[in-house]
Amino acid sequence: MTKEQITARLKDKFGPELEIVENNQPEPYFYISMAKYYELCSYAKNDPQLDFDFLFQLGAVHYPDDRFEVALCLCSHEKNHKAVVKVRLDHDNPETVTISDIWKAANWFEREAMELFGIGFFGHPDPQPLLLYDDWDYGYPMRKGWTGPDFVPMPEK
Amino acid sequence: MGIIEKVPAYIERLPGGGIVTTSMDWVLNQSRASSLWYMLFGLACCAIEMMAAGASRYDFDRFGMIFRASPRQADLMFVAGTVTHKMSKRVKLLYEQMAEPSYVFAMGGCACNGGPFYYDCYSVLKGIDQVIPVDIYIPGCPPRPESLMEGCLKLQEKIKKEKMSDWASDRKEV
Repeated sequence: MTKEQITARLKDKFGPELEIVENNQPEPYFYISMAKYYELCSYAKNDPQLDFDFLFQLGAVHYPDDRFEVALCLCSHEKNHKAVVKVRLDHDNPETVTISDIWKAANWFEREAMELFGIGFFGHPDPQPLLLYDDWDYGYPMRKGWTGPDFVPMPEK
Repeated sequence: MGIIEKVPAYIERLPGGGIVTTSMDWVLNQSRASSLWYMLFGLACCAIEMMAAGASRYDFDRFGMIFRASPRQADLMFVAGTVTHKMSKRVKLLYEQMAEPSYVFAMGGCACNGGPFYYDCYSVLKGIDQVIPVDIYIPGCPPRPESLMEGCLKLQEKIKKEKMSDWASDRKEV
């Protein structure tokens, strides 16, 4: 499916909950509301025309203006198309639901985001730390303004 | 630290003992310097240059340097690459498993002081010398095999200056 067809199909289903990002990338970019996040993922996986069978990236982002987002990069091997789905999170209490029951790849990606950004994924089957060393006790290192032991910030140019 | 390590220090005090120890020093140092077996151990892109230095074009074998896959058989460790905090414990363990005398190269900017990961980084150790004692620092990102060889020649010079009477001071307590 082309970018326009994917956009149209998702827009039909989710209406105002789906916000389309205008850019000149070859794949469509969306923002989905938090309430419909799981539903969109489930639809994208199971709909025979969209058929997003592969999640190749789930990343968290902390923007300098102190908001959190989770971004998913979806891909369909069968139909040969891609899409990027983003969801905005509450910046005081960044939480969303897990999608690791839809794509199993999300399990470790969510553990990584949980550990490095402190984002909660509700209903995650195994919410253990993944990457940092065992006695890590210094908070969430990928957040803006984080400092820790022997951390040297980049000097001002 | 047994009594055997103090023997050279006693021999040296005897009349004519200096001749014995310096001759023994020469033999031991010559054999150590020309058979520096290094540990097959790479952490990041510097390991590729280390492999290149070991392979036929630069050919470490002609210095008697052969890689060993076990720290028990190795005299020399190239810390080739970025050492994270998580990895630093394993590097230290490998260093402690090496038999005396053991030598360490900090190869590349990352192992010397954190290199490109010095600023704004939560995970990288700022220099392997915070964990284990280092003999030779080789700057570069990554260093060319030539600079690695230069470092090896410097280490050989260093080894050839060692004295048996210094053995009593334990190197691993640095």
